[in-house]
Amino acid sequence: MNYFDANTWTGRWPFAFNEEHSPRSLAAHLRQHGIGRALVSPLDAVFAPGPGPANLKLLRTTEGFAGLVPVPVINPALANWREELTARAADPRVRAVRILPRYHNYRLNLPALREFADELVRRKLRLIVQVRLIDERHEFHAMNLKPVPPAELRTFLTFRPKLPVLASGLLRSEILTLASKHADLLADLSFAEWHDTIPHLLAEVPARQLVFASHTPFLVTAAARAKISTAQVAAAKLRRIASGNLERWLH
Amino acid sequence: MRAIDIHTHPILRDDHRGRGGADQLIQRAQAHGIRHLVALGDVLAYGRSPTEAQLRKINDDTYWLMQRHPGVITGFCHLNPTLGERAVRREIERCVARGFRGLKLEIANNARDACMRPLMTAAQQHGLVLLQHAWSMTKIRQRSFHTDPEDVATLANRFPNVRIIMAHLTGCGVRGVLAVKSCPNVVVDTSGAAPEAGLVEYAVAQLGSERVLYGSDAPIRDFAVALARITGARLDAQTQQKILHDNARALLRLP
Ligand SMILES: [Zn+2]
Repeated sequence: MNYFDANTWTGRWPFAFNEEHSPRSLAAHLRQHGIGRALVSPLDAVFAPGPGPANLKLLRTTEGFAGLVPVPVINPALANWREELTARAADPRVRAVRILPRYHNYRLNLPALREFADELVRRKLRLIVQVRLIDERHEFHAMNLKPVPPAELRTFLTFRPKLPVLASGLLRSEILTLASKHADLLADLSFAEWHDTIPHLLAEVPARQLVFASHTPFLVTAAARAKISTAQVAAAKLRRIASGNLERWLH
Repeated sequence: MRAIDIHTHPILRDDHRGRGGADQLIQRAQAHGIRHLVALGDVLAYGRSPTEAQLRKINDDTYWLMQRHPGVITGFCHLNPTLGERAVRREIERCVARGFRGLKLEIANNARDACMRPLMTAAQQHGLVLLQHAWSMTKIRQRSFHTDPEDVATLANRFPNVRIIMAHLTGCGVRGVLAVKSCPNVVVDTSGAAPEAGLVEYAVAQLGSERVLYGSDAPIRDFAVALARITGARLDAQTQQKILHDNARALLRLP
């Protein structure tokens, strides 16, 4: 089975003893786990005052790694978001951008987000909303971040029906709440878990809305794969979840 | 691969499947190579401070599982230490007579509280293992009843002859591993939260491969994911086998 990973990162996360991946080491690591392609964003963009330098480095260093699809981070709460978007979208490999509302201190009702969403639609770019990066119960003590609540995401999706959105980092219960109400929403499986994760979700959510994601290097890559490969579900559905849905969403 | 799962709740109200669901869960565990499971009971079925009657119901469900799956299920008796010495003693005696091998504590009280003494004394007397819920919460506002790894260490130092399983390695994190490092009677199970990378390796490096035990927290968690925390870690096959199976076999004195 082909795996297309919706959620991977290069760079260093300061609050855990995680791997610090370059595009080269990330590609090799994913290959080892049978993952041929992945969306990749730069961790250095999370805490920097602006995501520009990290995006630039990501685009430069992922060249030559055909399996890595660079996904720049944009901060629409910064006055230069349009410039940043224009510059990064000039690279034809860029099909989607990622936002981190809580890490960048805004809510999805931020006025600039309306224009930002319209601009993404105009450019035929997709949007990934990073709901959480880690489990907030044991976030580093100096941080006080809550994930994006499902209700906030729901309101945003209701007002932006034309924008293709992938929600990354939703819990099982949040996927069940959101996906059944928004037929166009994609949800990645990085944080979703139950004793029979995939059949459990498929009882309420169509397979076309779920995408494989390892959240490397935060989470154990092999665990994300095992969640899919051991699921007792028709192979055609698993193929869509493993790679087909993300493929279709990007093109 | 053979495994023993030290942390499961085969009957869980949130699962909405009751006893029938438990059978399916055990079958699924066995399909994954898990030959034996510790059943901890539906510990939050009646809130964080269950009554004596509610505890009996929870433990009766566990006993039902033990009888239905002999040799496959080890039962741990769920307790509420705040009910007082007599109630605690009574439930422990009842469960020990039925073959339970351990005690399971959740969030009725903090593990450092004085109300722990009777059950720890009984644990020592009957050779019972204690599985204590623990988590390194970032903004803890419930310390009066919520046990941090540091509280597990306090308890372990007071009762060095009782073997303690500190639950949820991922929730306890680096801080939690360090808190119990100097307590040789504490082992840690690998459950808790999403499968964060690097923690199992860290726990082995700090505590040694004998003090880390595979646990899933199923049905809240997926066996495949829980097992991959160990099989997907950068550890040699022998160490993985200890964590998945051998350490738990020795602790529970299983054949
Ligand atoms: Zn549990």
